[in-house]
Amino acid sequence: MSYIEVRNLTKTFTVRKKREKGRLFREKTSVRALKDVSFDVEKGELVGYIGPNGAGKSTTVKILSGILTPDGGSVTVGGLVPWRDRKEHVRRIGVVFGQRTQLWWDVPIMDSFTLLREIYRLREADWKARLDELVQRLDLEKLLSVPLRQLSLGQRMRSEVCGSLLHRPDLLFLDEPTIGLDAVSKLSLRDFLKEENRLNKTTVLLTTHDMEDVAALCSRVMVLGHGSKLFDGELEELLSRYDTARIITVRYDGEVSLPALPEGCEARGEGGAFRVVYDPAAVKTAELLALLQDAGAIRELTARTQDTDRLIAKMYREMEL
Amino acid sequence: MGPFRLYLKSTAMNMRIRMQYPLSFLMQTLAQLVMEGGELLAVILIVDRFDTLDRWTGGDLYFFFGMMSVTFYLTEFLGRGVTGTFPSIVRSGQLDTLLLRPRGVLTQVLCSDADPRRIVCIAVGIAALCMGSAASRVRWTFLKALALGEAILCGMLLTLGLFLIEAVFCIFSVKSVELVNALTYGGRSACQYPVDIFPRPLRTLFTAAVPFALTLQIPAAYVLDKPLFPWPAWTVFVCPLSGAAVFFAMAAVFRRALKRYRSTGS
Repeated sequence: MSYIEVRNLTKTFTVRKKREKGRLFREKTSVRALKDVSFDVEKGELVGYIGPNGAGKSTTVKILSGILTPDGGSVTVGGLVPWRDRKEHVRRIGVVFGQRTQLWWDVPIMDSFTLLREIYRLREADWKARLDELVQRLDLEKLLSVPLRQLSLGQRMRSEVCGSLLHRPDLLFLDEPTIGLDAVSKLSLRDFLKEENRLNKTTVLLTTHDMEDVAALCSRVMVLGHGSKLFDGELEELLSRYDTARIITVRYDGEVSLPALPEGCEARGEGGAFRVVYDPAAVKTAELLALLQDAGAIRELTARTQDTDRLIAKMYREMEL
Repeated sequence: MGPFRLYLKSTAMNMRIRMQYPLSFLMQTLAQLVMEGGELLAVILIVDRFDTLDRWTGGDLYFFFGMMSVTFYLTEFLGRGVTGTFPSIVRSGQLDTLLLRPRGVLTQVLCSDADPRRIVCIAVGIAALCMGSAASRVRWTFLKALALGEAILCGMLLTLGLFLIEAVFCIFSVKSVELVNALTYGGRSACQYPVDIFPRPLRTLFTAAVPFALTLQIPAAYVLDKPLFPWPAWTVFVCPLSGAAVFFAMAAVFRRALKRYRSTGS
């Protein structure tokens, strides 16, 4: 039996439309947020959960964390049903929302951590040891006496992560944890999460729009669209399906004019600098390079893949999301 | 002892938050004093003009007023999470956070806020109780003190129960329902006076449906030695339990409603 088992999960929301003229009541429509979603997650896995806005990611996380009750299907996390055994279940999980704070806004963060000890009924010694460890790893020492509302976003996220891990959860949900963070904060948060997963075997389920988060953290990725699971596997595999184009940028000494390139190549530019997009499956790279070299003296040449966001956008388009 | 300990710790913190801006706190407290003092003044003016209202003397009226003030504002002081902040807890999505913690949601809602500004309203209420007790020459016995204590406790539970109706609506519609205020604030305003001065429909409403008469006024009338209804003496100690019953019934409905909670945003 897997640590997380999700079978045929469905959830429908009833949405009231705007009242039409001449009608007393508003019409209701139902929106199927999740249609028959199933997956397993093993203990210690780092899983990325992606999909466009409104795909049902948050709904899944809210059901898995015990906030919402689904309409159909079954979920067990470590043998517990989240919404039925809520108190028992939430003791074993931690949740971080990138867009919402879970600590107390107006008090020093140390006060929040002290109250969390009370809420989770943690033993003084355990709590102290864990707090010291997290404070050191997340570099919170100097911030403990500062009220949350005075912290920068990066500092606040580190505090939130600390608060969500004080009770040593087996499973951590991260909902867009790096949203709005600067490069340094993003990198250090990713490093911390990787380390946490390695040291404590914490299972992590990450929902995000930042593909770099997924690339840095998750070996496995699930794609959700219109309430259905569309892909479940390695990120590399997902990307290789859509990652067909290569881009060569070439700069010559002086002005040159490019010769006619093979069918399927798309060249743009003028004078001495060009950008060529082609598909290696259709055009031989060696041939293309030979043509480019014949055109003049190359000063500089770079070849790269398309950036991930473009790929994901292409993927969403092809999946008609 | 678990929930109680958590409540004490949270309330200590909430008080600190409320006191962060002392001048603002002082001004708001003063405003409360003017408001509740004004309410008492209205009763004093009635007594000054008419001496009695039906069979109730001025002292009796002060006593009824004091019962309601102390009960209602103790509830607002200690249970502000339910009586005031719950709609914003739902709207801001903070209810999600409460559901993510291994504690009862209602306990955490109660822990989420306390409103020490209400202390002055409670003080006005206590003053009214003292005025009433002196003017009506109440001979205090142990049983009377016990009845008073039970009435206030059950009255607080009743008030919480009524505010929970609003809370349940909030869970479904993510908006507060002003209609419910007719029962809570309306009930407070009406039941500052003994219900038997009201026409029958109102009297029935505040006895059978929103039982402020049973929880607060029967014991108050007992203390004043003027039974509200011609019922046996033991009913004085049983009737207030209806307030507790309303609370526990509404708490159960609240728990059921949480199962249908839809959450907001992402």
